[in-house]
Amino acid sequence: MTDTPDTSRSRRGRSKSWGTAATVHAVLLGYTIIALFPVIVVILNSFKNRRGIFTEPLALPGPETFSLEGYSTVLSEGSFLLYYGNSLIVTVVSLFLILLLGAMAAHALSEYRFRLNGILSVYMILGIMVPIRLGTVAILQLMVQLDLVNTLVSLIFVYTAQGLPIAVFILTEFMRTLSRDIKDCARVDGLSEYRIFFEVVLPLVRPVLATVAVFSMIPIWNDLWFPLILASSDATKTVTLGVQQFIGQYTVNWSAVLASLSIAILPVLVLYAIFSRQLISGITSGAVKG
Amino acid sequence: MSDLVLKDVRKAFGKTEVIHGIDLHVTDGEFVVFVGPSGCGKSTLLRMIAGLEEISGGDVVIGDETVNDIAPSDRGIAMVFQSYALYPHKDVYGNMAFALRHAGEDKKLINERVRKAADILGLEHLLKRRPKELSGGQRQRVAIGRAIVRDPEIFLFDEPLSNLDAALRVQMRVELLRLHQRLETTMIYVTHDQVEAMTLADRIVVLRDGRIEQVGTPLELYHHPRNAFVAGFIGSPKMNFLAAERQGATTVTTHGSAQIEVPVEARDGTGPVTLGIRPEHVEMVAPEEGTLSGEVLVAERLGGETYLHVDLGNEEPFVVKADGGVMQKTGERIGLRFPPQALHLFDEDGTAFEHRERHALIA
Amino acid sequence: MTDATTQMADRRPTRRRRRRAGTAHIVVFLAPALLIYTIFSIYPLVESLRLSLFDGLDDGSAVWTGLGNYARLLFDSNWSVRFWNALWNNLILFFIHMVVQNPLGLLLAALLSLAPRFGGAYRTLIFVPTLLSVVIVGFVWELILSPLWGVAEGMLSAVGLGFLYAPWLGLEDSALTAVSLISVWQYVGIPMMLIYAALLSIPDELLDAARVDGLSGWWIFWKVKLPLILPTLGIVAILTYIGNFTSAFDLIYSIQGVLGPPDYSTDIMGTLMFRTFFGQQTQIGDIYMGATVASMMFFVILVGVTIYLVGVQRRLTRYEM
Repeated sequence: MTDTPDTSRSRRGRSKSWGTAATVHAVLLGYTIIALFPVIVVILNSFKNRRGIFTEPLALPGPETFSLEGYSTVLSEGSFLLYYGNSLIVTVVSLFLILLLGAMAAHALSEYRFRLNGILSVYMILGIMVPIRLGTVAILQLMVQLDLVNTLVSLIFVYTAQGLPIAVFILTEFMRTLSRDIKDCARVDGLSEYRIFFEVVLPLVRPVLATVAVFSMIPIWNDLWFPLILASSDATKTVTLGVQQFIGQYTVNWSAVLASLSIAILPVLVLYAIFSRQLISGITSGAVKG
Repeated sequence: MSDLVLKDVRKAFGKTEVIHGIDLHVTDGEFVVFVGPSGCGKSTLLRMIAGLEEISGGDVVIGDETVNDIAPSDRGIAMVFQSYALYPHKDVYGNMAFALRHAGEDKKLINERVRKAADILGLEHLLKRRPKELSGGQRQRVAIGRAIVRDPEIFLFDEPLSNLDAALRVQMRVELLRLHQRLETTMIYVTHDQVEAMTLADRIVVLRDGRIEQVGTPLELYHHPRNAFVAGFIGSPKMNFLAAERQGATTVTTHGSAQIEVPVEARDGTGPVTLGIRPEHVEMVAPEEGTLSGEVLVAERLGGETYLHVDLGNEEPFVVKADGGVMQKTGERIGLRFPPQALHLFDEDGTAFEHRERHALIA
Repeated sequence: MTDATTQMADRRPTRRRRRRAGTAHIVVFLAPALLIYTIFSIYPLVESLRLSLFDGLDDGSAVWTGLGNYARLLFDSNWSVRFWNALWNNLILFFIHMVVQNPLGLLLAALLSLAPRFGGAYRTLIFVPTLLSVVIVGFVWELILSPLWGVAEGMLSAVGLGFLYAPWLGLEDSALTAVSLISVWQYVGIPMMLIYAALLSIPDELLDAARVDGLSGWWIFWKVKLPLILPTLGIVAILTYIGNFTSAFDLIYSIQGVLGPPDYSTDIMGTLMFRTFFGQQTQIGDIYMGATVASMMFFVILVGVTIYLVGVQRRLTRYEM
C-alpha cells in the first residue's frame, strides 16, 4: 500500500456528504461490534465467578463478581504450559522450514531457466488447490512406518508440506518482480549463487517473508485435525487440541471453560496486535491477488 | 594489452537463435557503443561479454584469454546496470566496497579506492546514505563508482542513463566522457538512444536482429551509412527516403519526375532505388527553383530551428530542418534542393551505393 | 594511471579464475522443498487414491476391489445415505457462504475502499475472528447461543425479539444454517481483504475519468469497480468452495462432534471421512473406506476447480491496470 492513493482518496472522502459518511461508519462499526462481541464476552466473563457469569453475562466484572477461579482451575488441572511449548515448537520450526525451503525453491523457479521449470512450478502449486487433509489416511500410515506417531516432528513435516505451496507461489510471484540487474551485479561482484540467495535475494524479500510467515502461522497454530490424528498423546498435545479436550472434560465448570478459551485467544490477539500492519499490508499488497 | 575480441559469438534460447555470429575487435581504451532498436540483441551481447548469459557458440576473448567459461567476477569487467542495482540494505560505502570486501581485499586498500572513486564522482558526502535516500542521478553515480572501485579492464554499461530525466541525462553523458578520458579504460556501452551513441562513442556498433549492421566512428555512420537501416537509425530527425528509378549509372528519377545526379560509384543496370537525404542537408528555395516542391503540412517551431513537414505526395511527409526564423506557414508551397554530396542512394535490399569521395572529416 | 590501478594490474596474472556456475545449485535450492512436499503431501494423496481401490480382509491384508468401494459408497444404502447427506450438507454450506459471506465481504470492502476515518482500525478488528482457532470460535458461539447461559436470548429479549430465540444449534432444521453463519462470521475477513486489495489496485485516474464522464458513487462502483474486480470474486468463490471441504470439519467437530448432530443434519464430508477412517461408537474404522471418502472429496473438489478454471476464469477478463 502506498501513501499516494490513500491521501487522494481521503481528500475525496472529505468532499463526500455527511450523511453518506455516517452510513458508512454505521455499517462498519456495526459489523466490527458483531465481529468482536463474542470474543469480548468470553474474555470478560472469564474474570468472573460463577454467579457473575450467569446472572449478568454482559456486565463488566465488578467487586462482587470478579474472580480468577477459572484461571486457577485451568492452570492447576491442565498442562497448558506444556501445550503452549508444543504449539510454539511446532509453529516456529514449521514456519522456519516453510520460509527457508519455500524461498529457496521460489528463488530457483524464478531465477533460473531450466527444462523442468514450468512443470515443477505447476507441481508445487497443486497443493494450493488440493488440501493436504485428503491424504490423511496415507499420512497416518506413513507416520506409523516412520515411527513418528505422537511426535512433534510428524506435525512439523505435515505443516511444512502444507505451507510450502502457497509460500512458493507468493514468493515466486514476488521474486519475479525483483530486478535482475541486482543479482547480475552480485555475480559480477563474484558472489556464488548461494551467497546471492542469502545475501542479496533474502534481504530483498524480507517484507514478503514476514507476510507469508504470519499467513502460514494461523492455520498451523489453530489446527485441530492433525494434532488429533497424529499427536494426541499428553506429551505432544498442542494448545488447540488441549483446550478442546479440556473443555470436553469441564463442560459444567464455566469459569474454567471461559478461562481456558481466553488463554487460547490471548496469544493470538497479542501476536496480531504486533503483526497486523504487516499482515494486512501483505494481503493487500497484491502478492495474494492471484 | 587487454583488447576484447568477439569471434563468431552466437546465442540461442532453445531453438531460436537471437545472436547470429558477431565478430568484433575492441582495442584497449576504446569507448564502443552498441546501439539498435529494442530486441536487436545489444543487451544480450553485453551480458554475454559479462558472462551473465551463456555463450551458445563462438569465443569471447579478453586480453589473450578466452573467457567463455570464466565466472563474471573473474573476467576483469565491471558493469553498470540500467536500474542501478544498488544493494538497498547497504549504504553507499558498503555498495562501493562490496565486491572488494567479498574478494577479501585489504581494508586500507578498499578504503583508499572507495574514497578515490567517491572523489572522482563527487560522492564523498553521501557515503553513509542508503540508496533510497539518494536521487536518481546520485544513484547512477554510485553505480558507476562501484564499477570504478573494482578497477576493471573493461567497463560495461547497460543503458545506464535511460532512467534519468532529460537534463540529467545530458549532464551524466558529459561526466561519462570525462570519466573515460580520465581512466582511459575500455568502455562498452549499450543504448537505444542514437544521440548517446553519437556523443559518447569512439566507435558505434549498430545492431539489428542479432546481426551487426555497421561498425564505425559516429561520423562514418552519419556520412557513410552502409545501408538504409543505419542511415535511418543514426541522425535525428531521421533521414528522408524517396522512392526513385535508376536511369543510368548515377542518375535517378524520383516519382516527382525530377532527374537527380548522385555522386556515387557507378553501377550497371536500372531499377528501383531509394534516395536518402537528411533534413538538415535540404536547402529550401522558392517553389519554382526547387528540384522538388510541395506544400507545408506542419511547421514544428523549436525556437532556434524549425522542422517543416512537406507533402511530396508520398505516404510520409518529407522533413526539412530550417532556420528558426523561417516565415513559411502551413499550406504554403516551398521548393527543395539537394546538395549532391549530401545525397545517399540505396539499392533494393537497402545496401548503400559507395560515395565517390569520402567526407572531409573522415580521413 | 593511478597507483591503485598499477597495483591491480600487477596482481592480475596470479588471480584465481573461477568457472561459471553450473547447475548444481538449482538442485540444492529445489530439492528440500520438493522432497518434503512430495513425501508428505503428494505421495499421501496418491496413496489414498490407491488405497480406495482396495478392501481389507479380516487377517489385515488388502485385496483389490477396483471401484468396489466407490460403488458401495454411492449405492449401498448403508453408506450412500450418509454420503449423499454429507455431500448435500456441504453444498448447502457452500451456498450459504456464497450468498452471505461473500456479498458481506464485498460490502465491507467497498465501504473500506471509500477510505473512511478509522478505516484501518475497522479492517484490523473485523479480521480478528479469522485468526482464532475454530475450536475457540466453536465453543464461544456454543456458549453464547446456549439456552443455559442465555446471552443470545437475553440480547434478543432486550430489543423485544425474545420470541425469535431458539437453541438453533440443537435443532435439526436450523443447526446447519447456524453453523454456516458462525463460519461466515469467522471467515468474512478473507473475502473482505482480497476484495479490498483488488479495489485498491484500481488506479485513481480511472475513477477520476468515470467521475468526469458523469458517473456518481454508486454507478462508479457498479459500472467500473465491480467489472474490474470480477476475477477476484472468482478466486474468492473457488477458495470458499475448497475451504468448505476442509476447514469446515474443524468447526463442526468442535461444536457438534463427529456425528454431525442432530441426526446427521450437520454431517459433512470431513466428519464422514473422519468417522469412516477412525470409527465411532458401533462403527469400526476402515482405512479403505476412509480413503474412498477422501478420494471422493478429492474428485468433488476437482470438479469444482475444473468448472472454475474452464467455465468461470476464462470468461472473467483480467484487465491490465
